[in-house]
Amino acid sequence: MTGPPEFRDLIGDEVPAEERARLERVHELLVEAGPPPEMPPSLLEAPDRRAQPVSFLPRRRAGAALSLAATIAVVAFLGGYLLGFRHNSFDSTRELPMHGTSIAPTAQAVIKLGKRDKAGNWPMVVTVKGLRPLPERGYYELFVKRDGRFLRCGIFNVEAGTTSVDFSVPYSFERNDGWIVTRWRRGEDEPGPPLLTTS
Amino acid sequence: MTDGELIARVGEGDSGAFELLYRRYARPVFALALRRLGDRGRAEDAVQETFASVWRSAGSYRQERGPGAPWLYAVARNAIVDRRRALGEPASEPVDEPSKDPGPPERAESSWTAWRVYRALAELPDHERQLIELAYWGGLSQSEIAEFLNVPLGTVKTRTRSALARLADLLEGELS
Repeated sequence: MTGPPEFRDLIGDEVPAEERARLERVHELLVEAGPPPEMPPSLLEAPDRRAQPVSFLPRRRAGAALSLAATIAVVAFLGGYLLGFRHNSFDSTRELPMHGTSIAPTAQAVIKLGKRDKAGNWPMVVTVKGLRPLPERGYYELFVKRDGRFLRCGIFNVEAGTTSVDFSVPYSFERNDGWIVTRWRRGEDEPGPPLLTTS
Repeated sequence: MTDGELIARVGEGDSGAFELLYRRYARPVFALALRRLGDRGRAEDAVQETFASVWRSAGSYRQERGPGAPWLYAVARNAIVDRRRALGEPASEPVDEPSKDPGPPERAESSWTAWRVYRALAELPDHERQLIELAYWGGLSQSEIAEFLNVPLGTVKTRTRSALARLADLLEGELS
């Protein structure tokens, strides 16, 4: 489906006329407003007023502090299962943290990217936490965005807790516009709404 | 608690009220800044500056003069204009020739609509906000949402109607 939803499809025919008019006005406002932007991780928490009663940190310093906090969080996130981690020999060249969108606010993930192999494939290990297990024939899917197009990297299932999956794809990751995880949709070329994102 | 009451408490140095106000308004401020500045990094700066300004100037807010949402909108707009000036850019884009794009009054109206809508969305319970986002901006039909969230179609429809009704209450109330 593309474009805004049909109002009638949303609420059906059983709503009294007065209430219908009230809801339709909200519908029009939602369409007019358009999608809210995805919030950057640095703005998810209110600044600590007690620590900084008057002035805020400049963003670069705040960014550095947040990067440190994010690093600690990632280390803590990975630390919990490190001993049993079956990919601990994976030789990663880069690690990309992902955070949950407003659809899956408690989800988080780390993508570890490896070196290109002799056959020209790029391996990666994706560790995901906080996504709910899906019913049978339901999958999550990882995409990388490059030049405005979404490229498939693989589908996967999760279990309660933390899940790690291996992928190997023939795309170079040297330049990209971000990564997303969404629900796999049968027969759809475009990804659905992102549940995790690197942006 | 209304936005006006929260701002009044922030004016008295209440950190809890500040955090609640931030949760309600961080996204509307970021959206407005992104729309005006066109750059996520600069928009992040503008959010920081807006809330720094809220903290500093909340003491001057008077509830009897009007609700909190327009006051916060004015604070955010000023912070964004200041950021543009600091970067040596004009406060508003010059209009060289007629355009089909919305002009400043329409753009301002559209920004205010988005501001009110995003603020109201922040008040919805998570399960209702998720449905609205998937229905309006996720490109999913009601059946696809039901499958996506693994809930019955009837539940999706009931919750969607409930979410729209809650948004109507919010948008008709303090934000009007």
